[in-house]
Amino acid sequence: MSVAHTKFDLQRRSLLEKMFEPPAVGKMAPVAKVVVYSFLAIWSLFVLFPIYWVIITSFKDAAAVNQGPSYIPFVDFQPTLDAWRINFTADPYCDMAAIARQLYLLAHNSFAFVLSPVVSIPPMEPQICKIYLAFTNSVVISIVSTIFCVAVGSMAAYALARIQYRPKFGNIMIFVLLIVGVILATTYAGVPWWMSSAVALALFFFLARALGRHFKMSLGNGDILFWIISQRILPPIVVVVPLYVMFQAVRLLDTHLALILLYAVANLPIVVWLMHDFFANLPIELEESAQLDGATRFGIFWEIVMPLTRPGLAATTLLILVLNWNEYLFAVFLSTVKVQTMPIMVAAKNTGEKGVLWWEMCAVTVVMIIPVIIMAVLLTRFISKGVLLGAVKG
Amino acid sequence: MTDGNTKASVKFDAVQKSFGSVKVLEEFNLEVQPGEFLVLLGASGSGKTTALRILSGLEAPTAGRVHIGDRDVTEVLPKYRDISMVFQSYALYPHKTVAENIGFPLKVKKLPKAEMDAAILDAAKQVQLEALLDRYPRELSGGQRQRVALARAIIRRPSVFLMDEPLSNLDAKLRGHMRAELKHMQGTLGITTIYVTHDQIEAMTLAHRVAVLEKGVLQQLASPSEIYNNPANLFVAQFIGSPAMNVIHGSLEGASFQTNGAKVKTKVKGQIAKAVAGVRPEDCSVTDPKKGTISGQIYTTELIGDHTLVTVNWGDDQIVVKAHKDFDGKQGDAVGVVLPPENLYIFDETSGERIR
Repeated sequence: MSVAHTKFDLQRRSLLEKMFEPPAVGKMAPVAKVVVYSFLAIWSLFVLFPIYWVIITSFKDAAAVNQGPSYIPFVDFQPTLDAWRINFTADPYCDMAAIARQLYLLAHNSFAFVLSPVVSIPPMEPQICKIYLAFTNSVVISIVSTIFCVAVGSMAAYALARIQYRPKFGNIMIFVLLIVGVILATTYAGVPWWMSSAVALALFFFLARALGRHFKMSLGNGDILFWIISQRILPPIVVVVPLYVMFQAVRLLDTHLALILLYAVANLPIVVWLMHDFFANLPIELEESAQLDGATRFGIFWEIVMPLTRPGLAATTLLILVLNWNEYLFAVFLSTVKVQTMPIMVAAKNTGEKGVLWWEMCAVTVVMIIPVIIMAVLLTRFISKGVLLGAVKG
Repeated sequence: MTDGNTKASVKFDAVQKSFGSVKVLEEFNLEVQPGEFLVLLGASGSGKTTALRILSGLEAPTAGRVHIGDRDVTEVLPKYRDISMVFQSYALYPHKTVAENIGFPLKVKKLPKAEMDAAILDAAKQVQLEALLDRYPRELSGGQRQRVALARAIIRRPSVFLMDEPLSNLDAKLRGHMRAELKHMQGTLGITTIYVTHDQIEAMTLAHRVAVLEKGVLQQLASPSEIYNNPANLFVAQFIGSPAMNVIHGSLEGASFQTNGAKVKTKVKGQIAKAVAGVRPEDCSVTDPKKGTISGQIYTTELIGDHTLVTVNWGDDQIVVKAHKDFDGKQGDAVGVVLPPENLYIFDETSGERIR
């Protein structure tokens, strides 16, 4: 054996070489191990400490907070339930029945809105206990809007993954011009909106049929996908005032329906974008086989496609749920009394006259964090690998 | 549900298919008899899978008509064509059990549960899967998955079976076994079957008739023995047979093929400046350098088991001869090769057409 080879012999390497070289393929070098794990440890500290601080602060009183930072309960400060009491039991209306009342209010007011063109039902006024109401509002708005958003978004994504669309550029231009026409006719000529829209729609179908085949340029699925995601490029703050005016015009301000619809629409691009990728990566033979076996498109979607994209669906749902749960900007603009959500409750603890009530804010924050953790644990059970194992080949 | 064993004929009528500017099928005409086992044979890119997908309705033809039985199905949705297909990848539903996979075509038809269970058991028995009905596809071997796909195809008793290289993902031994089972099953059920493959052995063993495709054009449609013994053109001659037919370039003058300074007697007559002579390895024989039609040196010998393949250098050409298993020639030995005139196929090199 030549001398040059001995350097690579495991037993003959110097200590320094052993420190910097991995002992085997698929393992880390000792030095790399130390660096990586110390970084992870420090990072974990950064992530976990604020949560710890929020939890202990919720058990402090005003005096303990104002004395400056203190970290260990019973040693640095005497824990108390004051903040929790103020938030959850001090109010005479604060009990579990408050949640039921708020759910009833939600259903009642939504029905009242839907039926408003037919029969006038006076909307219910909310109860006083704010935190229970806000919690109920947050839960209902987040869940309903997420279900709606994921259902519609998945179907749109599936269609974009499997059906080739070729909208003619000219037809799109006709459509845009007609919309402009509708707006002009409604605002300046005083034509009722439904009449101008109906005329425009009829005109659109006529023109598209008559001129459609003369247009050469067309868009593809990629363009549609980009158009959908481009709706998320605008910062939400930019659209908040127009949205306020819009919801005011349709008398939906301060309603659950407004926030549910808005959250669903705002998150639709994310769902479409994420789910499109999952659908596009499914082996198409499964769907073709089902098609030959006589399944309908919706049958294939529910029976074959949805179960197979379950991990992606769960991840997307979790993401949208958390986005909705934490949403503050739209909620603060569109709600006044009836549909305040948890983030607004947290922000409300920053009072003008008394400064920030940190201990109360932390108690609300803890209540806000717990459902997210529960959801994450429940949904990650669905995010398992190997769903597609055995679908194609061996 | 259609009643069992409604054998249907299949007809491609001047079917064309292009993807953009690429022509995949050109004027494809094919008639399949009721109950026939027809194999579409071709290399990848020959258009055989496209033809199958057009028949299934998963792909629409650019021009031409497709008929199943008396029906023109060109614009009919796949699910109304009464066909079932076995995919190369099996396309089993991984989240469904074997029973659910097999029963899926009946489930979408909303058949009563009892009737469905009986049909599933019946189909499973035909492919010896009745013990594995509660398993998931991931718990099955390749051959078992293949059977599940087959059972799912036969449970409906369609009027036409389509199979897209169903055996190509199996290992060699299993492939041979499944081949025999497929043939037996088709014989029992008598359902018109169109089978796509690139494997000439599968084509020869399974088919009643073989349709050889190349570059979107049907080269020859005939029984396996006809395809083997009487190739219509150079492509078919070279594609069928293992080892492949020997091909020698030269010219045809009268009744002799001239190449490498030698004259080989032929049965056909003609004057072709650029001609190709083909001869199958098993039709040649190795002999004494002086006795053979031609003579050359042994390039190499390969013992296959029941025979030996001898490659002989002859000028610029090489000729493979199927010799006796005890052949003991060495590399470089001078040998003669007998090319019997009756087994010599002559082709026009430019058109590829057979000279008869």
